[in-house]
Amino acid sequence: MSAGHEDSGFVARRFVLAEFATPEALLVGTRKVREAGYKNLDTHTPMPIHGLEEALGLGRPKIPTIVLCGAIAGACIAYAMIYFCNVIDFPINVGGRPLHGPPANIPITFELAILLAGGSSFFGFFTLAKLPLPYHPVFESEDFARAAVDAYFLSVELPPEGEADKVFAEVQTAGALSAELVTESER
Amino acid sequence: MAAPNLSRDPLEPLPLLEGKHTDKTINDSLLEHVWRGAGKGWWALFACALSALSLLAIAICWTLYKGIGVWGNNIPVGWAFGIINFVWWIGIGHAGTLISAILLLFQQKWRTSINRFAEAMTLFAVICALLFPLLHTGRPWFAAYWLMPYPSVQRIWPQFKSPLTWDVFAVSTYFTISLLFWFLGLVPDLAALRDSSKSKTKRMIYGLFAMGWRGSGRHWAEYKWAYLLLAGLSTPLVLSVHTIVSFDFAVSVLPGWHTTIFPPYFVAGAVFSGFAMVLTWMLPAREFLGLKHVVTLKHLDNMAKILLVTGMMVTYGYVMEHFVAWYSGNPYEFSEFFRVRQHGPMAPIYWLMMFCNCVVPQIFWSKRARTNILVLWFASILINVGMWCERFTIVITSLHRDFIPSSWGNYSPTWVDISLFIGTIGLFSTLFLLFLKFVPAVAVTEIKELRHELDHDPTAETAGVTH
Repeated sequence: MSAGHEDSGFVARRFVLAEFATPEALLVGTRKVREAGYKNLDTHTPMPIHGLEEALGLGRPKIPTIVLCGAIAGACIAYAMIYFCNVIDFPINVGGRPLHGPPANIPITFELAILLAGGSSFFGFFTLAKLPLPYHPVFESEDFARAAVDAYFLSVELPPEGEADKVFAEVQTAGALSAELVTESER
Repeated sequence: MAAPNLSRDPLEPLPLLEGKHTDKTINDSLLEHVWRGAGKGWWALFACALSALSLLAIAICWTLYKGIGVWGNNIPVGWAFGIINFVWWIGIGHAGTLISAILLLFQQKWRTSINRFAEAMTLFAVICALLFPLLHTGRPWFAAYWLMPYPSVQRIWPQFKSPLTWDVFAVSTYFTISLLFWFLGLVPDLAALRDSSKSKTKRMIYGLFAMGWRGSGRHWAEYKWAYLLLAGLSTPLVLSVHTIVSFDFAVSVLPGWHTTIFPPYFVAGAVFSGFAMVLTWMLPAREFLGLKHVVTLKHLDNMAKILLVTGMMVTYGYVMEHFVAWYSGNPYEFSEFFRVRQHGPMAPIYWLMMFCNCVVPQIFWSKRARTNILVLWFASILINVGMWCERFTIVITSLHRDFIPSSWGNYSPTWVDISLFIGTIGLFSTLFLLFLKFVPAVAVTEIKELRHELDHDPTAETAGVTH
């Protein structure tokens, strides 16, 4: 890192990007590198791979809880809205029917529960994933264009003073085909 | 080696993926139709679609300029093409959700090749459907505050006890959730498009929609849940949407409408017509887009079987309606089903419906018919016609002959009605052709996943219940 970078307060993040031949090799390799004590691991694959959550040491997914909250909120908002409109704000007697008719409220309550649950699944995912994110240092690699096509990558983020060579050796023993160092560019 | 073949179910010898593939060949073969320039066939179809679309534009402008008096419906037939086409289009959309959500939950692996296609169909069909009730309000620019609970100074709220209001919520939720589900599934494929694009502009555009997707394992972990839960939510949603659509009729008191069988019978009919529409489009698409290795004869065979099953459910619905009309001893119901529908002025449409929906699908008992492209294509068209006739029969016959002969009337559509209907077919086709040109028609990521699963467990292909 040059002095110019430090002046602007920019510290370039560095990643070791290692390619593996198959999803199975990636699974084994990821587990090995993680057990060697490396943090901030991530994998880049064209499709979800069974068992990677465990190999990366991820906790329970958060989406189900978010979706449950969305569903409950949707149902409550819908029922409260109908109750407010029909009973509180504008009570109108239609042929002597009760102002508050629970069976007639079921469809809209259900639909809004689904709408908010589905919305929280979608927007919850993008929020958790911090997407959209147009730039990420891994895109610096020429080979990375294959990550969405047919290549299986493991990326290891280096600590600011970390040595890339040690990580290269580590991913080599974990079975990587090749590895390269990518550095975030300042823009 | 013969061993994996032996472990296959001998009754299901057709493969889900034809030939030997790697991630790269799958990627390239499925994206090829996006990169390839539009051919003559595409332009010819697009021209037809656009001319039908311009008919829609003319019909909409005329309707808005003159008012809905230019439509053929008038008392006693107050509901006609508007609701017929609405229900028909919504039903067509339902197959998309069934394929993408319900078959996903049942772990039916054959859905992978057709789900993206069917989901896109759902979106476009719902757009066509939504046009009709909006135009039927006469002044669509006011529709938002007639239909939605909008807090205006008039303090008048929608009637929440009416199925029509439920419909507003059901259909708009359905459209929103279908769009989110479709886009979420599309993001990894857009990244694949971004990374295989040759020109910088295309890379920019697809990159914009891919939103910086980098296939991160941390993302996939949450993504799988988000996708699965959206599927889980879509499943009751799709059942509720057509149930609520059927309530529009079933909650009224008219003979022919006032029946409890309507919700399940509408849902079965929706899936029936939707699968027919998927076939109508899928058969030419797999031929011309080079998708034969992922949409194999096995997929066509399975879809034909679903047509047979849902066709028989629909037939059961018809039989039950007639049985209850007779068994209830209600003279109006009896007259509706056994006199008006069978011998009244709309009888040809009724008999066409019976032929297309009950007789035509019976051909799929034969395996040769289920795997014959031409038979499938013509049968799918006939089923679409039959399902449109079903909605016509339900809406028009009940309205034009109700309780008192003095209130009877007749119905015939005007040129505006017919143009609107043909126009929505144009709108649907235009959107669909654009979709086939710019987005992979098959879920590339899911096919790659499927290939890995099949490579590791050849029996999984036919079992459909193992992982």
